[in-house]
Amino acid sequence: MSLTDPENQIFDPQTPFLKRFEGVYAFQYKKNRVYRAFLNALGYTNQEHFRPGNIPLLPVRAFKYGSILPEGYTADLIFRSSGTSAMKRSTHGIVSTDIYEKSITTEFYRHFPKENHIILALLPGYEDNPDSSLIWMVRHLISRDSSGLSRFIRQDTQFSKEWITELALSGKKVLLFGAAFGLIDFMSRTNPFESLKIEIIETGGMKTHKREMSKEELRERISDHFGIKPSEIHSEYGMCELHSQMYAIGSVWFSAPHWVTVSIRDAENPERECEPGEEGKIGIIDLANIYSCPFIITGDRGVMNENGQFQVLGRWDSDNMRGCNFLIDAET
Amino acid sequence: MKGPSEHVDSINKSISEWLQPDNKILQESIERTVDEGLFSFEDIKHQILALKYALKPANIEQWIRQSGIKPNSLANRTVLCLHAGNLPLVGLQDLLAVIISGANYAGKLSKKDPYLLKSLIRTLDKQRLVKQIQCSTELEVLYGVRPDAWLFSGSEKNATAVENLLIEQGAINPDSPSLIRTAFYSAAYIDNLANETMAHLTEAVFRYGGAGCRSVAVVVSPFGLNENKCEFTDYIESFWLKNPQHQNPPKSLEHRFAMNKSIGVNQAWLNDFIIEEGAEVPGKKFILTWLVGDFSAFSQFVTDNKRGLQSVYSTADYIGNYAGDSVIEPLSAAQKPPIWWRPDNIDTLSWLHENISCEDP
Repeated sequence: MSLTDPENQIFDPQTPFLKRFEGVYAFQYKKNRVYRAFLNALGYTNQEHFRPGNIPLLPVRAFKYGSILPEGYTADLIFRSSGTSAMKRSTHGIVSTDIYEKSITTEFYRHFPKENHIILALLPGYEDNPDSSLIWMVRHLISRDSSGLSRFIRQDTQFSKEWITELALSGKKVLLFGAAFGLIDFMSRTNPFESLKIEIIETGGMKTHKREMSKEELRERISDHFGIKPSEIHSEYGMCELHSQMYAIGSVWFSAPHWVTVSIRDAENPERECEPGEEGKIGIIDLANIYSCPFIITGDRGVMNENGQFQVLGRWDSDNMRGCNFLIDAET
Repeated sequence: MKGPSEHVDSINKSISEWLQPDNKILQESIERTVDEGLFSFEDIKHQILALKYALKPANIEQWIRQSGIKPNSLANRTVLCLHAGNLPLVGLQDLLAVIISGANYAGKLSKKDPYLLKSLIRTLDKQRLVKQIQCSTELEVLYGVRPDAWLFSGSEKNATAVENLLIEQGAINPDSPSLIRTAFYSAAYIDNLANETMAHLTEAVFRYGGAGCRSVAVVVSPFGLNENKCEFTDYIESFWLKNPQHQNPPKSLEHRFAMNKSIGVNQAWLNDFIIEEGAEVPGKKFILTWLVGDFSAFSQFVTDNKRGLQSVYSTADYIGNYAGDSVIEPLSAAQKPPIWWRPDNIDTLSWLHENISCEDP
């Protein structure tokens, strides 16, 4: 197999995932110095026959030390994770903008067909956040709306009667796209969309500047405020270090696009896949990451159901710490 | 009711009896703890030896004097202690503080350390200093205690979960005073590689498998890890020969080592531990973070990482000075603190004195 074949096959649903996975893995072992060194340090060579459920996944923290690129490739685009100046921020170099755009639009339009939706993005603008992969993604989706009605909005945006009428006359649904804390702030004002068909996509960020809120509570508040059904409230799960996004449609359970496999890995033994219902760290094989690292274990806590959907339960970070940990689960 | 002196005498008598080499109750509790693999014999022995010094009557007396409390002044009050189990006898200071105050002690013993503290409670009970029925490894047994205050050590997240559970069960009044300690690691400044310093540093890092909040998890030093890796490793190997690591790290530590190697982080792999240069989240088990920097960098680290940081240590030239707003303690005392040491910078005895009224409700 030549080195260009895996890229061509990533988005081909006719090619079995395992075959695409093997092609991307072979490319990675040959060209990705960081991932190869990671495997070698664990004692593995290119003689291993990994499956998606047990392939060693590079901790996402590795991206805090700089872009991870295959030998001979350079990045077209650079994304950085959000964070304070005291924190190291992740850097993700995007070698192929085409792959990135395709991963965004293929999955997004599968759930929200372009011809049926207008995006109103309650997110900071691109000018203020040129490093954000989320803003880049939403800007790209807005730019592809030929109606010109999709746009970024702000907390204080005024919705004139004319504008609301124009949105209503378009015959399309409005997708209000925002981070959880932004949506909560937005809900402190009168709902400007009462006369419109709207759906919500929240992008996470449950720990607001005021207090932490459960996903269920957030969904309930959104439903009450906008007068929409829970089935019209969706979630997006993505990160700076990934090309692809996952969506939870009308529920808290996410599913992955056909070129992505999510597994829940045992935090103590990341080479073991957890059983459905067992909490662990969310592991992601994103074949669209072919030119960075497609085999990643995140710092997020997750759980899988019997249908292969997963839920994001927050950060894993407070475990395995030193000190006097009175662990309520273990002690009661 | 006993007067203050008589009360303290009873406590000292109980402690002395408990620490006697031929105390069968203590011996049995040590044997059970070791047999069930909860802690190593070496770590328990170290803890008992440290307590033999820390619990001398003169030290108890000094602790009481510093706190301003009148012993046995809270005789009509009840204090619930939720003990963690990461070190042998880790809740002993809380137990003694409550007993000295005269309050009724109610204790949730850790399932990871159910015997050692209980052996002291049994000895205190002989002097009628504690109601034995009010201690259990099962929290629900204590739901009816209705404490006037409660003490807890753990993470912020667990503290909230425990508090919610206790309120839900009607076991505590939401307005009851609570002392919640959440610091979970300590740091040291090392500016010399003298034999004594390296021996103390080894003890401060690796005693109790590095699991305690007083264990050094971060070293700031003008020397890079590569400059002392071999020498330090010799001390560690020698320490582990005498004090074999009781708890082995999970496989995820190998993955961390492999990731560090793949991205070029300078590190030392010790099978049961990693020493690594630089890390953004200090305080994880089995990892010692080594930061290269001078004393001002150490002070800056202490200032930037107040949350979670318990104690700061160094060698003779720095003891008593400030790093950030923390007073530097002797490195040699990291694993044998005096009885009046202040977890999360709060003296438990003073806290009981200041937060619980001795007047009848």
